[in-house]
Amino acid sequence: MCPWETFEHTADIGLRITGRSLDELFATAGQALFALLIENPEEIRPREMVEFQLHAEDHAYLLVDWLHELLYLFDGQHLVFCEFDVRVNERRPVLSAHCRGEPVNWDVHRPGTEVKAITYHNLKLERQGDLWVAEVIVDI
Amino acid sequence: MAEGYRGPLEKVGPYQWLVPQDYKPGMRVPGLIYASEELIDQIRRDQAPEQVANVATLPGIQKASLAMPDIHWGYGFPIGGVAAMDPEEGGVISPGGVGYDINCGVRLVRTDLTVDDVKDRVRELVDLLFRRIPTGVGRTGKYSFPKKELRKLVVEGPRCLVEDYGLGIPRDIEFTEAQGRLEGAEPDFVSDRAFDRGEEQCGTLGSGNHFLEVQVCSEIHDEEAARVMGLFEGQVCIMIHSGSRGFGYQVCEDYLMKLRTVPEKYGIQLPDRQLACAPVNSPEGRQYIGAMRAAANFAWCNRQLLMQQTREVFQEFFGRPWEELGMHLVYDVAHNIAKLEQHRIDGELKTVWVHRKGATRAFPPGHPEIPEAYRAIGQPVLIPGSMGTASWVLVGQPGSMDQTFGTSCHGAGRRMSRRAAVREARGRRIDEELERIGVIARARSRRELPEEQPKAYKDVDLVVEVVHNAGLSKKVARMRPIGVIKG
Repeated sequence: MCPWETFEHTADIGLRITGRSLDELFATAGQALFALLIENPEEIRPREMVEFQLHAEDHAYLLVDWLHELLYLFDGQHLVFCEFDVRVNERRPVLSAHCRGEPVNWDVHRPGTEVKAITYHNLKLERQGDLWVAEVIVDI
Repeated sequence: MAEGYRGPLEKVGPYQWLVPQDYKPGMRVPGLIYASEELIDQIRRDQAPEQVANVATLPGIQKASLAMPDIHWGYGFPIGGVAAMDPEEGGVISPGGVGYDINCGVRLVRTDLTVDDVKDRVRELVDLLFRRIPTGVGRTGKYSFPKKELRKLVVEGPRCLVEDYGLGIPRDIEFTEAQGRLEGAEPDFVSDRAFDRGEEQCGTLGSGNHFLEVQVCSEIHDEEAARVMGLFEGQVCIMIHSGSRGFGYQVCEDYLMKLRTVPEKYGIQLPDRQLACAPVNSPEGRQYIGAMRAAANFAWCNRQLLMQQTREVFQEFFGRPWEELGMHLVYDVAHNIAKLEQHRIDGELKTVWVHRKGATRAFPPGHPEIPEAYRAIGQPVLIPGSMGTASWVLVGQPGSMDQTFGTSCHGAGRRMSRRAAVREARGRRIDEELERIGVIARARSRRELPEEQPKAYKDVDLVVEVVHNAGLSKKVARMRPIGVIKG
């Protein structure tokens, strides 16, 4: 099973992400976001690290906040990432993350789709058997 | 793809469809959608009419939850949605009623050039525009405004660009909606993150449906209004469609986050959490309004700088100063915004917050907020078509004040998802197809042209027909694209 895929939505794109743990799911969500923003994410090198902690009202909101944070680091700090080491507390909606990447270089990184925002519409994060599954729609 | 709307839609006028107030518990007013028979079939295909009903549940809403003929599914509010809230009746302000791209809007610049002056060199002109004007994801421009300067800019709007930086002329300000400045912008209510994202993005086009288009005025429908606006058949014009970039997206995002728990605090029950809102007269509501106004002013600065860069490109390309080329602003309108306005409701003059999300203000002749030069003809309403199709210039009509809080449509409206559009375009070269119909298109991302291809949108002519016939605005000129740059 593919850890993430896109699904259709009138004007925008939905991301369906799975993981054996919340740690894995959040890391995959980060990969998915940068695969939208950058056409060739395989060219992103792990040369710098950014670390931060987040907390939210619940884990679904935490996922939105996580993607918001990455989007801000891209759009406000001009960084792109390829490695995400995320520790999500499964009991409380808090996480700590180490993200590795580099400053964006448009001679190397080909522009993908501009993501305006991560939305709350039909936001889903649930356990299905052994897997965690999330759906989040991004405004593009 | 979400399934279609199965609820009631009663035809109550030649172009009016009612969602009855008893359709859903909690509706305070009915829903009213403006559409033709042909368009209503498309409108039923997604959940947009359901969203019209959801908006009708918001506190303080007046008369009806309205939707324009280009309505399609949006976050919380539908795109094409209009709602007026009375603060005296507990009315709310909702970031979802404005949208992520605060003050996304359109600007039309005219020239003295005719199609004959450019027809053999369109490709070179478009290539130069594409090289000079930053488009697409993450691209920064030649302008950079550190926080201190940006704080001033978002309070004062483009007047500050003209007066402090010489980027434009005073006449530009006169022909911008609200003179490019919503009073009461509060930079203190805007996060540092928004300032970070905005610092290098003022004067950049962005991506998605944003564009900068070289157009030819191909049909005149109202000679007098066209003359007053300086439009004539065969004339080259430039249409710019962009908004508040990362600055505005961040403001919307910040306040959607802040408002997550606010409706509950004020006892407001919402059918959809994307409708998050706060009473206008609450600390949270006032903060969003202050930040939203700052983002709106940012957007007007952005379009001013996009216009200024276009003038520079034309100057370089034609070897003459832009003033000599007659490159003047016809008008600039917002189509994602909330504004405090006076409207007559059931015979009583009320001051209400009008949310226009994917809808354009369309004030009729004589309205004091219209620039004096246009007061006799009505406020220009600029309707961008999709890439490769026509755009329209209209003017506001008295019917808009009677029916829609002074509002008209904003564009064509999507009818195909992006993925469906890409799938549909598989094996085709959209740029070559466009070139065959006389449009030179340039985009930075390979996904952009297939996603934004003409078939992905409703027919803008059908949309304009409805607002024209319903008396909301009147056709003045049709504009045909010859070149376009995108993200």
